[in-house]
Formats: sequence, C-alpha cells, structure tokens
Amino acid sequence: MSKLDVTDIQGFALRGYNFPFARYLFVKILDKRKGQECLGRFIGDVTTGERWDTGKPRTTVNVAFTFKGLVALGLPEASLLSFPVEFAQGMKARGAILADTGRNSPRHWDALWQEEVHAWVGVHGQSPQDLDKQCENLQEQLQETGGAAVIGSQDAAALQIDGKFSSKEHFGYTDGFGNPEFLGVEKDAQPGQGKLKSNGGWEPLATGELLLGYADEAGELPLAPLPHLLANNGTFMVYRKLHQNVATFRRYLKEKGELYPGGMEKLAAKFVGRWRDGTPLELSPDGGDPKIVADKNQNVNFTYGNDLAGLRCPVGAHIRRTSPRDAFGFNGKLVNRRRISRRGMVYGPYVREDQEVRNEDEHGVVFMALNASIFRQFEFVQQQWIEYGNDARQGNDKDVLLGNHEDGGKFMIQGTEDPKNPPFLCGGLPNFVELRGGDYFFMPSITALRMIATNSVDPR
Amino acid sequence: MANRSGSVYGLTILSPIKDDLHAEVSHSQAIRMYLQTIPQDQRSPLARVSSTHMARLLVMDDVVYFGMPSCEEHLSAKYLIFESNFDGDLDTYLGRLAREAKEEVDALWQHCQDYPGVEDEGAFIAYMKKCQVETTFYFADVNDKTVQQTLRALQTQSAVATFIEKNQGKPPDELQKEFVKFFAALRNAPEPMPGSGRAREVTDKLL
Amino acid sequence: MSNLRGKAYAMNTISPMKPWKTWLLRGLFLLIRLFPQLNRGLPALSFIHFARWVIVPRSAFPRLSEHQPKERLQYDYLLFFSNFNGTWNQYIDAFSAVLSKGLNGIWRWSEKFPGSVPVTPFKNFITRGQLGTDYYYTAYPHATTNDVKAAHRVTAALDELAKLNEGMPAPEFGEAYLKFVLKVQGDLGATGEAPVGT
Repeated sequence: MSKLDVTDIQGFALRGYNFPFARYLFVKILDKRKGQECLGRFIGDVTTGERWDTGKPRTTVNVAFTFKGLVALGLPEASLLSFPVEFAQGMKARGAILADTGRNSPRHWDALWQEEVHAWVGVHGQSPQDLDKQCENLQEQLQETGGAAVIGSQDAAALQIDGKFSSKEHFGYTDGFGNPEFLGVEKDAQPGQGKLKSNGGWEPLATGELLLGYADEAGELPLAPLPHLLANNGTFMVYRKLHQNVATFRRYLKEKGELYPGGMEKLAAKFVGRWRDGTPLELSPDGGDPKIVADKNQNVNFTYGNDLAGLRCPVGAHIRRTSPRDAFGFNGKLVNRRRISRRGMVYGPYVREDQEVRNEDEHGVVFMALNASIFRQFEFVQQQWIEYGNDARQGNDKDVLLGNHEDGGKFMIQGTEDPKNPPFLCGGLPNFVELRGGDYFFMPSITALRMIATNSVDPR
Repeated sequence: MANRSGSVYGLTILSPIKDDLHAEVSHSQAIRMYLQTIPQDQRSPLARVSSTHMARLLVMDDVVYFGMPSCEEHLSAKYLIFESNFDGDLDTYLGRLAREAKEEVDALWQHCQDYPGVEDEGAFIAYMKKCQVETTFYFADVNDKTVQQTLRALQTQSAVATFIEKNQGKPPDELQKEFVKFFAALRNAPEPMPGSGRAREVTDKLL
Repeated sequence: MSNLRGKAYAMNTISPMKPWKTWLLRGLFLLIRLFPQLNRGLPALSFIHFARWVIVPRSAFPRLSEHQPKERLQYDYLLFFSNFNGTWNQYIDAFSAVLSKGLNGIWRWSEKFPGSVPVTPFKNFITRGQLGTDYYYTAYPHATTNDVKAAHRVTAALDELAKLNEGMPAPEFGEAYLKFVLKVQGDLGATGEAPVGT
C-alpha cells in the first residue's frame, strides 16, 4: 500500500499524544464567511501526524466538526447529504440506539451539550500554563475574525498520584491498553493490537478501518463523504463525557468484595478482564504482575481460545466484550471491522481510596474514539456489545461498568471448583457510569480543512 | 424429506391472490391492510396455533428485475406467502389453523383464488397443499424441542438465575431447603404463553 | 408491516436463475444434506433460528384452476427465508466475513450476483431482491437462538440436579449444587427486549 502522507493527517487521528493536560474547546460558528476565514488562519496551528524528531512540542492543537458545524461553514448541500446518516443526525438523536436513555438521556447532560456545538478544538499540553497560553492564543484569533465563539470547554488531566502522573482512571484501573494497530500508521506496534493471522500471530488492521480513503477489512473502500478529497485522510470521532459515580463504585466493590471468596482486587479484575494494575487476567489469573504490564510483547498479547468458558477472564468482562479477539470463533474474523481507536482522558482530581468521595463530584473520563464508520464501529460496539450481550452469549446482560443498568442488571463471573475462583453472581448493578454529553465529529485532513476554509468543496 | 428438520416442519405456501379489476381496493392491498391489524404477541392467531415457533406472511407483488443483461419478466398473479416453522406433522397443523385461527385464515385467504373456506377441513387442507412449494434446503438451529419445551426452558433459565443470586453463599442445608421449594414452584408455574416474550415477569412472581 | 418482532428479523429474498443452473444448485444442496460438515459454519455463527431456501421452478408456481392464467416465465426463482438475530447489517457483514464461499456457492447461479465479497455490492444485491414482511410472529420474541440453546442446557442441568437430590444429605447437595452452577454459569444471560433495529 502507499505510504501515508502524515503531514496531511491530523496527529490526533494517528496516535494519542500522551500529554498530561488537555482542554477541549467547543465552538459555535457565527458566520459562514468569517468562520471560513477563521479556520483558514487556524490551519497552520493544527498538529499533523508528523514525527517529532526534535522533541515534543509544548502543546498540540486539533479540530473536528459536527454536521451542524459543516452546515454552518457552508459546505454545499450535495456534499453534506453524502455524509453518513448517523453523523448527520448527531449523537443526541441516536439515543435509542446507544441506550442513552434514563439517567444517560440528553436532558441530564451538561448545559454545554444542550447547545448546538459546531466544532471541537482539542488542545493538549505539557503543563497547565502551556495550555492556558495556547488557548488564549486561539481565543484571540477567534475574536479577531469574529467568525466563531467558544461556548464551553472541558478540562482533562492525568491523575496525579503520589506526585506522579498516572495512567489510572477514577475506579483505579490502569487504562490505555489495546488500541488497534493499522497498516501504515507508524507507532510502537505491539503483538495483540492488530488482527489475528491464521497461524496465530498478529498483523495490522486495514488502514481503512481508521482513515477514509483507504481499503478496509471488507476489501473495499468504505462509504465516504463526497468529494474524495474532502474525506480522504479524515476520520470520524465520537466524543462522550462519561461521568463516574466513584462513591457508588467503591461501595459496591467493597460490599461484593467482602462476599467474593477471591477478594476485592480479584473481583475488580473480573469486572474488566485486567487487574487494576493492568495485568490481563488471561495471562495471570491469580494476581497482578508488573513484569507483564511493563512488557510490550505481553501486555496486550493474549487470546480467549483456551478460555472459552470464561474461567480466567469472565465471558462478560469489559475488555472481552469490547474487544473479543477470537472469543467468537472464526479466528477473530467477525471482530475486525468493530475496532475503535480510543484517546480518552481522565477529568477531575484524584481522590485517594481512603478519602471520602461523592458521586456528584466531577470525576470521569472524556471518551474519544476514532473510526472510519461511526455506525459500523463505535455504535455497533456500544449497542451490541456494551448495552447487550447476545454475541457474548450473555443475553440481555450489559457491560458491568459501562452498562445502563436502569432496573438493576447482573454480571456473572464464571468460576471453577477452586475456592479462590468460584462462580459468583453480582446482582443489583447500579449505573457506575453516566453520560453527561457528547456528539459525533468529522476530523478532516489538512487538505480538507483548506478546502472548507477557502469555500472550495465541490461535490462532483 | 426436505420440508422437515428433526421434529420441526418448514411450510412454504404460495397462494395466488385474486385479481379483481372492479374492486375499489385490490385484494393484495386488502390483505396487507388486514395483516396490520393482527396482534403479534400472545393474542396472535399463531399463538393459538401453539405449535408455531416462527411464521410470517407477506404479499409478493412480483418477481424482481435485477437489470440488464438479465431479462425483465413479470408474474401474472400476486401471491400470499405463508412461511411457518412448527412442531409436528403438516395435516395436524393445517387442521389447527382451520379450527383455531378460523377467523383470521378466512379473512386472509378469502382474497386468494379458489379458496374453499375452513368449514370443510379436508378441502382446506387439500387447498393449502396445492399451494405448498417444497423446501429445497431447511436449516433449524434447534430442531428437537417443541414450542412448549422452549418456553418452559426460557422460564426456567430466568428463574435459575434469580435463584442463584438469591441463595449465593448460603450453607448447604438452607440451600437444599430453598432448592426443593424452588423446584416445586417452578414445576407448578403456569404454562408460559407463546408470543408474549415475558419470561421474567412470571419468574419474579415465583420467587 | 415490519420485518422485526422482538429479537428476530424476518428476511425474504428472491432471485432469478436460468433454469439449467437450477440443477447445479439442487446438486449443491443435496451435497450439503449428505455431508453436513460442509455446512458447519452456519450453526457456528449461531444467529439463525430457522432458514430455508426454496427453489420455485418457473412452471411450479401454484395454480389452482384452469381459469387462472399460467405464469409465463423464463427464469426459475430462488426464494430465501431467514429468521435471524441481530441487525440486518450485522447479519450480512458476518456472512460476508466468514461464510463467503458458502454464500457464493448458493447465489452464484442467480442472475447478476456480484459475489459476497466485498460486502457493499453484496448488500445492494440483497436489498434489490428483498421482499418486505407484512406480518411476523415468533413464540419467543424475547430470546435469540443463543438464549434458547442456553435455556435448554440450564433446564437439563436443573432436572439432573433435582433427580440427584432425591434423598441426598445436605452437605452432598452442597457439592452437587456447586457442580450444577459450574455447568450453567455461562448460560444465565437475561432474556428480554431487543436492541433498537438500525
């Protein structure tokens, strides 16, 4: 395949930056022509996929637009109509599909998300000062052209535990494993990130599962907006603010942990499929293992073929639901078009286990996922694998951590006759996570940004 | 016998629909309109003919033209298609349709050519067999359980999950006592209704 | 007028075949009936309750009496009826991904069949030939075929436990019960509503 032109692809699409601080600005376009002008001035600041040979920059900047944002920027109608239905509708309208109902329905979302959001500007920084400086800069540009205004923002930052940045999130799990590997996208590839080969090894997924304009896993160019140049090297981003009910989680884990013969830490591991330190249960069923966590060749390198009954990693565990690997047979072929790239960042301050915490406090994860098709990838995983369980043969049971349990669902932990690994049913599941807002965005290539900014999008 | 897989029978009926140029509403339209009024749940006539696992009805207006170089052609009649997957033998099933879904069968097939009515069960069965097309290849994932066995099993599955949850961690003697009570209650539970889709409601009352 | 009822989807498709090709298809189906291992992919996917292929030769459209006009057709027709779980896209994606050879074997004899890989032209072909269901009934709308099979396994295990329990002392029952739970622990998913059709 042809080499990727990384200078044309926004860096955020290709990899997580691993910066400890972030601010996501949400922008409304006020005027079509001024908005285009503003975008034009801004393009030079956008971070591309270029390698940082001379060291990491202080900040990175990326941009993505909702459908309404593209409308406001004056894309021609024929082009707008060629965008996928789910993107055009926006995430709010897809609530029934995503099970964003009850506590997760839009009426409970943050005030920002009751507004019409046109653009997401993602700023990542090495320090809060770097962040502020960059954001002030951007604000000035917006004000000068008068083309757009910031209507809200969301800060995020890696948890600081004992004075060091951690990759843990608020429930105590080490996060960030298992992002897929794509053909042509240079990054530190690890065995286990791609798709299974027939001989048991791993290989990268088709580029077209992430970026538009490239062949995907179905052996074709996926449906993409017109014109080609607008879509190529672009991708779609799902943004969801996931509030975490930390108090509820800690209480539930403690309560059930006292009843579960394997102990609280093991119970926590069974929920997810990894010990809270990140060790995969499939590789180490009896305890966390820092050596495995630190070993790139091991920490995502496992399959479920030898554990179809779920005795090490429960059949309904979070990582098994969201990335089934070979759990459905056919050497994993059924899951290759359901992979998403995650770029989540934690928000809210770290609260030690022994400190009091309230559910109402702002703690959570800004979930961002990138994929070539929101419908086929993110929405499918959300609807069929998180909020439902038939493919995992778990009927209507939902993902224990993310599921919208509403009237109290259950999570079954499969076990053995080993008294430290018994079968155990966790019932009366509360909603540990609640949705507080979000939307679907299109993250254009640099070329596409220029086309939009210069009003030169021709649908044919 | 290609219509059968284990204890399940796959019936495919194509009944030519009357074509009355003087009718205000065509017979095929009338069929479609009527089908919209029939409930799909436990009140369905097919729930009464309780050996029916799954079944559908549709009007086939015409064959489909796929474009050149294939040839365009058309059916001279529309067809009411009835596809059913049921337990037991064909004659028994058709007899039950005639008796237990009398009203709906009449309302639908009256629009079809040479339909003899359900009063004469023999004539009805003969008519349906004339409309039957042979299944060439039939796949049934579960082909050895009746509708009633499946409904009972689903009820049981739901009840067992609740039982396991409620009695987790109990000592053996208490567990055994509860189990005996549970099993008896399950045995005596009312027969689940086909078509209703409510295993949990029933079992929640059980425990 | 819906293709959906609970967790089941009723798909109906029709495709034309040149009559001489029909014999080849009949031959294939015969082979599969004689050698079921050729067809092991289908049950492994485990999302179809019942499915059938019906070849209707051009002269075999039911005709009840002389005054009804004969069908004058050039093609034989292949009808396909499926009762499956999951969404339309999920269903076809899965077939295209893992059963493409089998699908090609069955539909290559139909006019204008584009092959089952890649998936988009295949989906267009199916859409072209799909007939809408006007009425759909299932006796267990709250259950997929996975749910049904799991339920039967649970029932069998429960009946076995009840039998064993007759006259069993409590401590022994404790062990038997654990063995029972281990047997059914993967089969306890709740049944209920289907996700929204997409």
